[in-house]
Amino acid sequence: MGKTMERRKFLKAGALVGAGAAGAYGLPLLTSLRASAGNALAPAAKCRWGMVIDLTKCPPNCTACVDACKRENNVGSTGDRLRDIYRIRKVTIESTLVAGAAPKAVPLLCNHCDEPPCALVCPIKATYKREDGIVIVDPHRCMGCRYCVIACPYNARHFNFRENEQRPNPAFPRRQHGVAESCDLCAHLLDQGKQPACVAACEDVQAKALCVGNLNDPASEIAALIRNHSVKRLREDLGTEPKVFYIGL
Amino acid sequence: MELKFERIAGKSKPFYLLTFLLAGLVAAGVYSTWLMSDQGLYLSGMSSRIPWGLPIVMAIFYIGLSAGSLVISSLYGVFGKLEYKPFARVATYMALLLMIGALLSILTDQGRIDRVVVEPFSHFNFLSMLSINPFLYASYILICAAYLVVMMVGNDKWTKILALVAVLWAILVHSGTGAIFGFVPRALYNSPLLPPSFVAAALSSGTALMILVLLALFRLTGRPLDQAPVLWIGRLLAVLVLIAGYFVLIENAHRLYAHESRAAERFFLFGGAHSLLFWGGLLLVGSVLPVLILFHRKAGASIRWVAVAAVMVVAGVLCERYLIVIPGLAYPPDLFPGWTITQSPIEEGIATYAVSLHELLQALGVVALMGLLFLWGLRTLRLLPGEAGRG
Repeated sequence: MGKTMERRKFLKAGALVGAGAAGAYGLPLLTSLRASAGNALAPAAKCRWGMVIDLTKCPPNCTACVDACKRENNVGSTGDRLRDIYRIRKVTIESTLVAGAAPKAVPLLCNHCDEPPCALVCPIKATYKREDGIVIVDPHRCMGCRYCVIACPYNARHFNFRENEQRPNPAFPRRQHGVAESCDLCAHLLDQGKQPACVAACEDVQAKALCVGNLNDPASEIAALIRNHSVKRLREDLGTEPKVFYIGL
Repeated sequence: MELKFERIAGKSKPFYLLTFLLAGLVAAGVYSTWLMSDQGLYLSGMSSRIPWGLPIVMAIFYIGLSAGSLVISSLYGVFGKLEYKPFARVATYMALLLMIGALLSILTDQGRIDRVVVEPFSHFNFLSMLSINPFLYASYILICAAYLVVMMVGNDKWTKILALVAVLWAILVHSGTGAIFGFVPRALYNSPLLPPSFVAAALSSGTALMILVLLALFRLTGRPLDQAPVLWIGRLLAVLVLIAGYFVLIENAHRLYAHESRAAERFFLFGGAHSLLFWGGLLLVGSVLPVLILFHRKAGASIRWVAVAAVMVVAGVLCERYLIVIPGLAYPPDLFPGWTITQSPIEEGIATYAVSLHELLQALGVVALMGLLFLWGLRTLRLLPGEAGRG
């Protein structure tokens, strides 16, 4: 009799812990499944920002977009290659498959994924996707755990390793150390009806390789560009649904 | 015979000397932590590409050790084996301390320490493993504390219940910790095997540490130790090491076999100094040699050799923790399949990481604080079996 009671207690406690485990792991799974099920091809939101980068128009040695971004967002450079922040950076790539292919200069930035891994892993929702599709960090909530930097498959996230005293743009807050940093498509400018700094700078140098616009608007320039060109997104196989489209990659 | 537990006197010269030394290390750790929190984490060895370093390695190491301690305590608590009762209290207290140390390592590693206490408990994202785990860790600490209290009060019924809950909760805590890495889509992280593998390594390293702590404690306080239970724990350790090794083997074999992870696995196995930690540290010193020692007819029956094997296992799992965190970050995601990045303003390709002085001091500070709390516990709580109670 005593033995049966003990076994019953054992089973009871086991069931309790099992239910806890199922809750802790099952719940996120269920919610994530529901979230992806609701994400059909045509989102209901009115505006869905995206970007097109035309590599055939991007001059190899030009860094106008990178410089403008740093000025606009008060992101300084210290020459520390391991820790300097680039919301947008330009890299050169060379083919490993075929000899004689010309190198390409490619601007890289946050892809504002529709399924952003950074927002998925942020423990406190400091990184989130706005209704208009922009993936953004709330620097007043971020506690600097850097899990988002690790989860981003595009190396597009950076961390403010040091205090940045430079503030070329007085209209924008100074960058403080200890929080994550990434491109937000200059949401503060887009919200005022202006172009992001990189896009404006690219127009200023007459390159016009960058275009930001509403993917949901059939009359927008970006929609036409994507319709009329063969576009590529980075690592589409990952299922992150990037909203930065490359022409000529 | 009734087993009585007692405090240690804690009035000897070495005791005060050790306390003084540990307090100094804690002070150094606090200073480094303050400096990094005030000036920025550029003072650590971390970078944009390797944003997790020594603090996270140590945190998951402690979390693992904590589980093993609980296993030892559960031999009495869950299975009611009286010969392990003398170790049960100390083991539970260790489990509690190690988890506090882990939590402290993670806490002090944040960019904004001022936000850590509030944000994780006020804004949740239950899709994030890093949001679930603070709750698991906090509840685990409370369960361990409650388990220790009922054990000390002598409530056998609740000791049994809470011991079982604590052990099962420890498995959940470790699966959760493994999932922090295993559920992230990086070539060397992404693996459903990581949570169970994490549990296995946790149990082996924690059991090994417990053997060492028990041997040291009983010797230093002049308590005669019954050898048989320790030797039995040694054999248990050998089995746990084999299970942990099995997971490591399967995981790496799979990565080498699958096309998409083969390049990453080659980097892991043969790509640099970390590979030495894998072959030499984790496999040879941390797994093969200790198993040979523990299963050896003569060495396995000698306390001295069991202790040597335990040191090896602890060192091996520390290597394993480093191998989980760092190479997985150092290996770059493939942004352009079929292309290679030849020029960039930031570090692309294989990333580099070296522990900085402040990071090291911070880590030593956490170890020292756990040490201080352990000494305090020995002196204040009745953790060790008394002379009179020897069976």
